[in-house]
Amino acid sequence: MASQDRLTDTLIRAITIAPAPQPAAPLLRVDNLSVSYGRQDVVHDVGFELGRGKSLALIGESGSGKSTIARAVLRLLPNGARASGAVQFNEQNLLALPERRFRPLRGRQIGFVPQDPGNALNPVRTIGVQAMEAAALTDEPSVAIRRALILDTFAKVGLDNPQRAYDSYPHQLSGGMLQRVLIGLAVLPRPALLVADEPTSALDVTIQKRILDLLSRLQHDLNISLLLITHDLAIAAERTDTLVVLKNGVVQEAGKTSAVFSSPSSAYARKLHADVPALNPDRYARLRETGLRLHRTEEAPKIEVSAVTKKFTVDGKVLTAVNDISFAVAPGTTHALVGESGSGKTTTIRLLLGLEEPDSGEISVAGEQVSGRSRESLRAVWRHLQLVYQNPFTSLDPTWTVEHLVREPLDRFKIGTSKERAEQVRQAIANVGLDEHLLTRKPGALSGGQRQRVAIARSLVLKPDVIVLDEPTSALDVSVQADIVEVLLSLQARLGLTYVFVSHDLALVRQLAHTVSVMQRGSIVEHGTVADIFGNPQHPYTASLLASIPGGIADPVRMTHPKPRQVFRKEQIA
Amino acid sequence: MSNAYLTYAAKRLGQAVVVILLAYVFTFVVVSILPGDPITSVLRNPQNGFSEEEIAEIIAAQGLDKPVIIQLWNSLTGFLTGDLGMSMRSNRPVSTLISEVLPSTLILASVGLAVALILAIVVAYGTRFLPKRYGQGLLRGFPSLFLSVPNFVIGLVLIHLFGFQLGIFRVINPDSFWATLFAAIALGIPISAQIAEVLIANLDKEAEQEYAAVARSRGLGQARLFAKHLLKPASLPVVTVIALTIGELLGGSLITETVFGRTGIGSLVQRSVSTQDLPVLQAIVSLGAVIFVLVNLVADLLYPLLDPRVKILGGQKRRPTTADEPSIGSTKAVTS
Repeated sequence: MASQDRLTDTLIRAITIAPAPQPAAPLLRVDNLSVSYGRQDVVHDVGFELGRGKSLALIGESGSGKSTIARAVLRLLPNGARASGAVQFNEQNLLALPERRFRPLRGRQIGFVPQDPGNALNPVRTIGVQAMEAAALTDEPSVAIRRALILDTFAKVGLDNPQRAYDSYPHQLSGGMLQRVLIGLAVLPRPALLVADEPTSALDVTIQKRILDLLSRLQHDLNISLLLITHDLAIAAERTDTLVVLKNGVVQEAGKTSAVFSSPSSAYARKLHADVPALNPDRYARLRETGLRLHRTEEAPKIEVSAVTKKFTVDGKVLTAVNDISFAVAPGTTHALVGESGSGKTTTIRLLLGLEEPDSGEISVAGEQVSGRSRESLRAVWRHLQLVYQNPFTSLDPTWTVEHLVREPLDRFKIGTSKERAEQVRQAIANVGLDEHLLTRKPGALSGGQRQRVAIARSLVLKPDVIVLDEPTSALDVSVQADIVEVLLSLQARLGLTYVFVSHDLALVRQLAHTVSVMQRGSIVEHGTVADIFGNPQHPYTASLLASIPGGIADPVRMTHPKPRQVFRKEQIA
Repeated sequence: MSNAYLTYAAKRLGQAVVVILLAYVFTFVVVSILPGDPITSVLRNPQNGFSEEEIAEIIAAQGLDKPVIIQLWNSLTGFLTGDLGMSMRSNRPVSTLISEVLPSTLILASVGLAVALILAIVVAYGTRFLPKRYGQGLLRGFPSLFLSVPNFVIGLVLIHLFGFQLGIFRVINPDSFWATLFAAIALGIPISAQIAEVLIANLDKEAEQEYAAVARSRGLGQARLFAKHLLKPASLPVVTVIALTIGELLGGSLITETVFGRTGIGSLVQRSVSTQDLPVLQAIVSLGAVIFVLVNLVADLLYPLLDPRVKILGGQKRRPTTADEPSIGSTKAVTS
């Protein structure tokens, strides 16, 4: 009983501690921060201020130095990095503190929510053991009470079975649950500052929204200052008070979020704004419709999938990966498959490519039956059907030149003389907007966008009718994504290609697809034209997916100043 | 878990038994097809002074006049029931000879392994956390240094320094505590190099993982980060390395025993080789195989218990992939 009282005490103390009288100085002030790795400058002369209980977003593409700034504040820079300037936290320069004096601030004063929850917990220790490390920072001597504090925090961040999470190993929980655990561990010692480095970029859209809601709520309720690192302008606009836009380690623009967002003054911030799919649904409307007008005929569909079911047996349990799905795609159009991880998107395209055999139902591409073929005769289908893979950083052999990579399909199908092949490679490269001098380069010397263009050129070189695009931009920055989307749409307009576009990003789908199938747990719950689905969703799941598109400031449900409500709300994850 | 684990363990045990039997048959075959006839050449050695009748008697007693396949069968069944035959030199059971010297070697090898482990962990910790100016970089050179010095050289240096110069142990009493310890050090140093090499590489890898940074952001100091977070995942591959070094540990102990003048398996092997005492040699080779197989069996059985991510599927252990789909790059949440 006594320990129960002490627990309540600790909880009340932890939650109701009155915010200290606002001192004049901001909680965090970064002045002239520069960071270099060897001779390479990654952050140059960056400065910003973050007040108590306020939120600030560092926004930029990969390589902009935003994560490096976060790591400098956390003093987690890798060996060999040199930071100069000042990071003033509570009027103490963190960069000048010896580790011995900085360590007491870690966790207690400055909490950290990392990017990829799947790698942020030790895989061979239970979550409970690791949570105890965070609970030890509360100075609560009793282990039983620490444990209760952890379970209580887990409940507050919306884990519906705190005890199970406590006893689990990290790989036994989903990414969304792990991110909740990590947020819980970061806020448990009640830090004054929370640094969140892309806390949702590894998660599904609907989970992304819940995690961001949770962060906003905790920030507000516990009066924590939030330093949010993100590449998504829409998220930054929706969640923070101040924006700092970075490019190549230099601040391009900074100021109140509403001001920067509605009237960006720097060219870069304007471009960033224009490249976010959620904010510009009609950006490619003309290009998309041109293709449709030129090539759409009332002929038979290019792709027909009818009543296909596929089951897998995992650990003795039968799992229906794809359940009685049907769709058809007209030639020259883009059909999008959307849904969260585990909804059956990937299985569907594997079936489409003939890599899996359906248990029942039929699939035909360009009039040819895909299902029930031998490996040999599938090759004939593959000439008309190509795949562009998700991640161009892993899908290209790093030891091959661009020329070799693009030529390989021609070699495989023994098409043309070597002269003709070389010519076709040059054409394909030109089609995707790459310069010829890149032909002799290897993937390592190319940027992510260039690599994905190579992957597209590789799929184009056989002159297929259908290209399956498996999340082709999910590993790329927004501005690069915009380039790739433009390349894809102009190719479609010129060559009359038919696309099957797999994505979890609805805003992107709205920009480029003509028709959509929404998948949930292996079934298609809703399908139709983009205008119908996005304008008037019928299924609650589609509606929830649409609601999770970050809308920026235009969104009426802005989270920055929520009405006071229940301190924490419990919610379930999927 | 436990049911699948038991099936897995039973399967592995069965495989181990088969491997041991095959190893025994293999050594038997190798010995019997060796050129020359070591048995009769020993028996007919004039120094031994056996008469022809006596030789025939011995050959009949040992069953050497029977066809090879029968000999193999007898030898194998003897091996399975613990009867390793008689030594040809001393006319005593081989099992007695071995059990006399085995404890000494086992003590040496296990102390050597312990020394190797401690040394490897200390060196690995140093490479990670020793302040740079105290030679963090220098320590990284230790494993290759340790590997390149033969252990008899290390043994001789240790004997000279600690035995003769400092007088910590007496060379004429090789079974004393200190003499055993220094012999174990000589034995353990090259072994520790291999363990340290793997441990350092894995610690480097683990320390770069995001979870290490996150743990540090929770205010963990270096020592606790090392002990609580990095050591366990980094030492999983070390289990395999240790199992593989067991062979070296046994081989190394033969040399170390000679250098330090200890009686053990090493001296028995030496004696048996020089006198061509085949039953003893066959027994020792088989013993080596048994130990090697058993240690690897233990390592295999331990692995799923140490790493919760190892799933046992159909008797095979394998690491589960993040999802059933070939998603590379982003680790997406698996919800359902």
